[in-house]
Amino acid sequence: MTAIGFAWRSLVRQPARAALGILGVAAVGALLFDMLLLSRGLIVSMQDLLDRGGWDVRVSAGELPSSGLRIPNAIDTADAISRLPSVQAALVVRTASVQIDRASGQPIRASFQGVATRSTDPAGSRLRAPWTILRGRDAEGPNEVVIDEKLASESRLEPGGTITMRASCVADLEALPAIRLTVVGVAEFPFQSTNESTTGGTFDALQAACGGNVGSEADLMLVTSKGDADGTAAAIRALRPEIRAATNTEVVGRLQQTGFTYFRQISSVLTTVTVSFAVLLITVLLTVSVNQRLGEIAALRALGFSRMRVVKDVLSESALIVGIGGLLSLPLGLLLASGLDRILKGMPGIPVALHFFVFERQTLAVHVALLVATAIIAALYPMRIVSTLPIAATLRDEVIG
Amino acid sequence: MPALVSAQDTNPPDVLVSRQLAESEGLTVGSVVRLSTDAAGTHAREFRIAGIYEPTPDPSRLGQVPRSVRLHLPDLLEMTRPVDVPAGAEYVSSVNVALVDPKDADQFAGDVNARLPGVLALPSGQAAGSAGPFRVLERFHLAIAVVTIIAATVFLLALTIMLVDERRETVGVLRLIGLPVRRILAQILLEGLLVAGVGAVFGLILAVLSEQLINHFFQWRYDTALVFVRITKDVALTCVSIAVPLGASATVVASWALLRRGGLRLARR
Repeated sequence: MTAIGFAWRSLVRQPARAALGILGVAAVGALLFDMLLLSRGLIVSMQDLLDRGGWDVRVSAGELPSSGLRIPNAIDTADAISRLPSVQAALVVRTASVQIDRASGQPIRASFQGVATRSTDPAGSRLRAPWTILRGRDAEGPNEVVIDEKLASESRLEPGGTITMRASCVADLEALPAIRLTVVGVAEFPFQSTNESTTGGTFDALQAACGGNVGSEADLMLVTSKGDADGTAAAIRALRPEIRAATNTEVVGRLQQTGFTYFRQISSVLTTVTVSFAVLLITVLLTVSVNQRLGEIAALRALGFSRMRVVKDVLSESALIVGIGGLLSLPLGLLLASGLDRILKGMPGIPVALHFFVFERQTLAVHVALLVATAIIAALYPMRIVSTLPIAATLRDEVIG
Repeated sequence: MPALVSAQDTNPPDVLVSRQLAESEGLTVGSVVRLSTDAAGTHAREFRIAGIYEPTPDPSRLGQVPRSVRLHLPDLLEMTRPVDVPAGAEYVSSVNVALVDPKDADQFAGDVNARLPGVLALPSGQAAGSAGPFRVLERFHLAIAVVTIIAATVFLLALTIMLVDERRETVGVLRLIGLPVRRILAQILLEGLLVAGVGAVFGLILAVLSEQLINHFFQWRYDTALVFVRITKDVALTCVSIAVPLGASATVVASWALLRRGGLRLARR
């Protein structure tokens, strides 16, 4: 009988303790798996979010696009950028806070993204705003707007309807006259957070909503290169040294050093604690189990089982407990991850499409590697016990005891 | 972030500089610096560093080194006012008001909102929007704690089943000499309580020791005075009130299956 077969029979002989050991590994393994998903989840998800829409360079006035600083002379700058040989198109984005009146009840607070495309390339001029139309069509005129699904359901609005909005364009608490806009489409905004509503339209529509009080500043500029994002970002920095241009990868890198660091740290701490916890408990389980079977192991040695063979039996038992528990930990971990993701997405300002726990093949590989290491390390001490077991003395003690 | 250039002048206005900025730029109290609203340093003004301050820890800005300067408001407005805006007509983002009686906050906010259209007044309790993320993190940590407790309980049950099984002969003998099941169970419960109590105290000592370690690590990592882990009396009591009954219950549950068997069966070799 092979070592694995022998270890299997040892486990089956004590089903309750084996089942509890496996369940314990499954629970700890699920937590470990989730912490590994969390360690890179935000980065992978943010990279995916930034890459959607095809805009590969982001231009802003501050270190990060969300710094709150505005790019001066944005339209002229976008024109200059669009004339760079490596640029396909540049999109100016200016955001204003708006209140949308309702027939009954409190007005809805939302943001209004006004966009303008600049391109000298025929392919670039076809690039659209950074939102995806779900129903209807994109806003094109100065009195047209697209709204998000949340706003559509809250206001019971569909393409063809009209909204009355009051914008605050320079300061948050401005009170500008109301303007009526036609809803031409319902769109999905990639960076929209769970607790906010968003509308979008042309830069001209934003100008109209703001009573012309927008000036030439923009919050952000999105640029599509002709393939060389790094070179394009460098060319923009050379063209306008006072503004910041970064590729999507560079933006994620900056976020990694600031906003995402807490989750990476907490995931590292919890991964270490979880693995240590698993090693400790499996070691104790195996050690107690081996200690209870010392007589049996000594008898097997006396019957001709080699030292290596009994060591292999213990290692196989550890591998079976950790292996079966580890397999169970995967679906359990994914289930737990979806629950934890829902909890964390309750944070204000987190985009709906952003996920804290993201599955990657390399995460699974690290998970498996950690479990294999756990199985081996946890079996070291009990393996030492069985390998140094004095056969005659143990058998004599068993008989006398 | 205004540009910063060392300079010399006679009597410039005072500013305060954050510790982190002072350390990174080698600034000291009494130094004269030039501040500008743009990176090119246009219209730079000179200021004297009157002090270096430790910024109030802000959990929502974790990971961002607070390289900041505090100016008197008139000095800041003077620097940031657009050329076409007359003095006194600038925007400020917020005004903090200290009331004689803080209980009047709701009434005061209501009065301001009624009398000054275009201005939004909020009691500070409602204005503290940054509390949101921490309530979410609290729920997240609670969920992690629940999973950890479940995993620990399962392991504990497995261990106690093995330990109880190890003592089956002793229990069998006790049964054979006439001790009733209830008496043995009470003894096991007491043992369980004792072991769980000692375990909980050991766990608390470990937590207090790791509290310092974790805080020192994260405070060094993020260059902040924020406290990340705090073992309060409530936290300690909650841990003990979960760990001790859980440990004792696991012992009793694991023993119960054994005690249902007859004394002879337990004592036989």
